[in-house]
Amino acid sequence: MKRTTFTAALAFALLLALCLAPAGCSDDDPVRVDLSKREDLVAPRLTEAITYAYLPQYSHTISYQRHRQLLEYLRKTTGLPLRQIFPDTFEEHVKMVERGEIDISYSNPFVYVRLAKAGAHAFARVIEPSGEPNFRGQIIARADNAAVNSLEDCRGKRWIAVDPNSAGGYLFPLGLFYDHGIRLSDFETVDFAPGPGGKQEKVVLAVHAGVYDIGTIRKGTLDVVAGKVDLGAIRILAETRPYPGWVYAAREGLDPSVIEAISTAMFALDKDTEEQRSILNAAGMTGIIPARDADYDPVRELIVKLGLDR
Amino acid sequence: MRIFPRLRFRTKLNLGMASILVVMALLLLPLIGTMSANSLVEESKKRGSALAEGLSVRAVDSMLARDFLRLKNMVDEQSTVEDVIYAFVQDKNGFVMAHTFQRGFPVDLIDANKVDTDESLHIQLLADGSRRIYDFAAPVLVSDGRLGTVRIGLSQARIQLAVQRQITIMAGLFAAALFLATSLGTVFARRVTARLGRLRAHAEEMLTGNLDTISGPSWGIHCWEKQQCGTTQCPAYGETRRRCWYIAGTMCPDCNNEGNFQCRLQSCRLCAVYRENAGDEIQDLAETFDVMALSLKSHIDELRGAERNLRDQQRLTRTILDVTPDRVSLIDSTMRYRGCNKSFAESVGLSLAEVDGKTDFDLFPEAEAEERHMAARDILQSGRRLDTQVMVETAGGERWYHVVCIPVLSEDGRIGGLLRTDRDITDIKRYENQLIQAQKMESLGLLAGGVAHEINTPLGIILGYAQLLQEDVPADSQIHQDLAIIEKQTQVCKKIVADLLGFSRQTQSAKREMCFNNSVMEAVSLVRHTLELDKVAIVTQLDDRYPIIYGDPEKLKQVWINLLTNARDAMGGQPGTILIRTRLDTPGGIVSLWVADNGSGIAEDALKKIFDPFYSTKAVDKGTGLGLSVSFGIIEDHGGEIHAVSPIPEEFGFPVEAKGGLDGGGTVFEVNLPLDHQVHEPGEPEKE
Repeated sequence: MKRTTFTAALAFALLLALCLAPAGCSDDDPVRVDLSKREDLVAPRLTEAITYAYLPQYSHTISYQRHRQLLEYLRKTTGLPLRQIFPDTFEEHVKMVERGEIDISYSNPFVYVRLAKAGAHAFARVIEPSGEPNFRGQIIARADNAAVNSLEDCRGKRWIAVDPNSAGGYLFPLGLFYDHGIRLSDFETVDFAPGPGGKQEKVVLAVHAGVYDIGTIRKGTLDVVAGKVDLGAIRILAETRPYPGWVYAAREGLDPSVIEAISTAMFALDKDTEEQRSILNAAGMTGIIPARDADYDPVRELIVKLGLDR
Repeated sequence: MRIFPRLRFRTKLNLGMASILVVMALLLLPLIGTMSANSLVEESKKRGSALAEGLSVRAVDSMLARDFLRLKNMVDEQSTVEDVIYAFVQDKNGFVMAHTFQRGFPVDLIDANKVDTDESLHIQLLADGSRRIYDFAAPVLVSDGRLGTVRIGLSQARIQLAVQRQITIMAGLFAAALFLATSLGTVFARRVTARLGRLRAHAEEMLTGNLDTISGPSWGIHCWEKQQCGTTQCPAYGETRRRCWYIAGTMCPDCNNEGNFQCRLQSCRLCAVYRENAGDEIQDLAETFDVMALSLKSHIDELRGAERNLRDQQRLTRTILDVTPDRVSLIDSTMRYRGCNKSFAESVGLSLAEVDGKTDFDLFPEAEAEERHMAARDILQSGRRLDTQVMVETAGGERWYHVVCIPVLSEDGRIGGLLRTDRDITDIKRYENQLIQAQKMESLGLLAGGVAHEINTPLGIILGYAQLLQEDVPADSQIHQDLAIIEKQTQVCKKIVADLLGFSRQTQSAKREMCFNNSVMEAVSLVRHTLELDKVAIVTQLDDRYPIIYGDPEKLKQVWINLLTNARDAMGGQPGTILIRTRLDTPGGIVSLWVADNGSGIAEDALKKIFDPFYSTKAVDKGTGLGLSVSFGIIEDHGGEIHAVSPIPEEFGFPVEAKGGLDGGGTVFEVNLPLDHQVHEPGEPEKE
C-alpha cells in the first residue's frame, strides 16, 4: 500500500515536471526578422514651411504643448504651411530670427527689443490672463517681517528674483529699485530661483519659508500658488508700472500677405468660443490684439535705465 | 519485496531523506525554474518597458529640437545595458532618427513591431535565426500628440541564461542539501544504531543467560547526592545500577509512591534528579532494559531458590516414600496409576516413571488385578476406606499384606483418587502363628505337667513294688527277669515324666554362683567316653577367664549334655568332631557358648521347629523330642537365649582339620547367658 502511494507520488512529480518544464519557454509566436539585412537610411527632405518659434522660456515639450493647438488653428485658417521649431536658448532664438530661420517669433518684450534691432517688427501682442495687454512686477515680503515695510527697507536685504532674463520677476522690479535709488550692490544677496520650470512659484515659496527677505515676481503668480501657501502670510510690498506683454514679431522680409493672413486669424480668436478658448488657454493668453513697435518704448527706456543695452 | 525490511536503519534513514530531497528537487526544480523563468521574463519585460518608456519621455525634447546628437547619445546610453541588443527612435512617419547599429540599419526591424497611440507599450517577440529578442515599442507622446516611436530590443538568451543559472544554483543547493542530509543522517543514524546495537548485544547476552550487562549510561548524579539525602534505609540509597524513578517505595519526600509506575513517573518528571539524569527514548529504553534485566535476575534467583526448596521437599517426600518398605500407590478416578513409591515399582518390576498411567491389568496377574480393580472401584464409588489383610501366592511362598485404601478427595469434595498402602506383614503373621503355638505349648506344658505330677506318684509306687517283688524272687527266675523289665520300663516312664515336669518347669530350680567353664567341662567329661566310643571327638576352646554366672549347675549341665548328645546324633553314627567354645563378653554383660558339629546339619524349615516339644527327626525309639525344648525352657529360665544356625557360617571358624563329619555343613548352637542376674531376678516370676 505504502509502496503504491510512493510510486504514485513519484509519478505525479514527474508528470508535473514534464507539464511545467516547457511552460517556461513557451511564448507568443515570434516575428521573423533578419538583423543582418542592413541599409543606410536617408532622412526625407523637409517640406518648405513658415517657421514659428516660441522663445524657449520653458522646455520644448511645454512649448510644443502650449502652441500646438494655436499652430493647428493657424494652419487650418490660413492654409499656410506653418511649422513650430525649437531653438534651445534665448540667444539661439535671437540669432535664428536674425538669420531669417524663424519667420514668426513669439517672445517677451526685452527679447523683442533685440529682435527689432535685427529688423523684426511687432504685429500682434497678447492679452494677459488678467485681461490686460500689459503686465507688472511685484515685490513681496513675509507679512510678519517687520524689518521690511517699504522699498527703502529693502536695502541690505536678501533678494530672490526669478531669472536674470525675467521681465516681471526681475527687470521690472529692478527698474523700480533704480527709480528709488537702490542699486544691485545695495542688497546683501541677489539670488535667482534654481532649476527649470516653476521659477515664479519657487520665489514665493522661498520668501514664505523665510529663506529670503524679499522676492520679486510677475503679477498673477500669487493666484497660481494660492493652493500651496497661505497668501495671508505674504505681503505685497510694491508693484511696478505696467509694461506691454509678450509680442508676435515677423522677421525682416517676410511676405506681408503672410503676416496679414496670420494676424487676421490671430485677431479673430475669441475667448468666448468654446473651441478657441481652449486654444488660447493652452497658449496662456486670453486674446491677441494688434501691436506696434512704439508700444515697446517703455521697455526700451527701462533697458537704457538699467544699462542693459551696453 | 523483502529488501526494504532487511536494509540497515542507517540506510533507510538516508534513503528516506534522499528520496524526500530528490522528490522535492524533482517537484520544485521545474516549478521554481518555471516560476523564476516567468518572473525573470516578466521582470525583463518590465525593465524593457521601463527603458522604452523612459527613453520615450526623454526623447521628446530632442525630437522636437531634431537634435540627432542627443538622440544618438540617448539610444547609445540604452545599449550600455548588457542585455539591450539595440535601441532606436522613429519619427511619426517611421523614419529612424537615431539607432545603435554600427553599419546600416536592419530594415526588417522598422515594421516588426507597431504600437498604437492609445497603447503605452507593445512587446513583440522577434526571432533572428536562433536568437530571440523581445522588442519593446513605446510611442513618444506629447499631451495628445505623437512625435514618434521608441524601440528597444532585449535578448531573450540572457534571460534564459539567468534562468539556467538560477536552476543550476538551485540544483547545486539541492545536491549540497542532499550531501549534507546524508552526512548528517549517517552521523545521526550511526549514533542511534550504535546504541541500539549495544542494546541488541545485551539482549543477546541476556538470552545466553548473562543478566549482569548494563545498557544504560553510567553518567549522571545519584539522587542521594543531588538531594543531599542521608536516608540510608531508602531502597534508592546507594543504588547505582538503576535510576531512582525505577525503584518503588523510595522515601524521598518529593516522591509520589501512591500510584502505579506511570503516576510515579509523572511526578518524577518535575523532580530535579529526573531532569538532570533523564535522557532520550533510547536511554529510557536502555535503562528500562537494565531494570528489567535486574528484576529478571532477582526473579530468576528467587525462582531458583524456590525450585531448590521444592526439589529438597520433593526429595524428602520421595525419600520418605521410598524408604518405607510399604508399597504406596495413587490411583486417579479413571483407575490409572498416577504415582507410587520405589517399593511398589520394584514389586511390579517397573521404574517409577513407567508405572505412571498404567492400570492394574498392566501390572498384576489377571486374578490379582481383578481383585484390586474391584476393590478400588468399590472405594471410589462408596468413599469408604478399606483396611484388610490379603494373602498373595508368590514364587517364594505365601506373602501376607496389610492393605489400607483411602479415598483422596479433590478440592470440590469429590473423590478424585485412591491411595493404597500394601504393608508386608508376612513376618508379623509368622510371629503371630508362633505366639499361638507358644500359647498352645504352654497349655500343653501345663497339661503335661499336671498329668506327669499325677502319674509320678503311682509310677513311684509301681517302681517300688517292682523292686520289692524282685527281692522276693530268685535272681535268675523268669519272674525276676520280668520284674526287671517292669522296673526298667517304669524307669523310662519316670524319665519321661521328669522331662515333662522339667519342660513345664515344675521342677526345683537351685540357682547359685557357679563357674560357667566348670559346668561345661563336667558335662564334657561325662559324655566324652561315650562319644569316643562312637568315634566322635570333642574339641574345647574355653575362655580362660572362667566366667562366673548365677545359675542352676545341674540343669545347665543337662543342657550341655543335651546339646552334645544331639551333636553326636547328628553324625548319624559316623565319626566326627564337636567343637565347644565359650566366650565372655564383659561389656555386653553376657557369656556365650557354642556347640558346633560337622554332622548332617538341619534343614531350614526344620530349624524353626527344633525347640518345639516332641519335635524330633530321630527314630521313634531313639528320642522323645523333648531334649531341645527342655533345654530351651532351662535357658529361658536363666534369662538367656538359645538358637541354632545351620550350616555353620564361614566366619565361625570351625577347624578344617577336624576329623570325620558329614556333608550337611554341620550345625552350631549358640547359648547366651547374662552375667548379671540382679537385673534378671526381680522380673522373673517365682514359681516356687
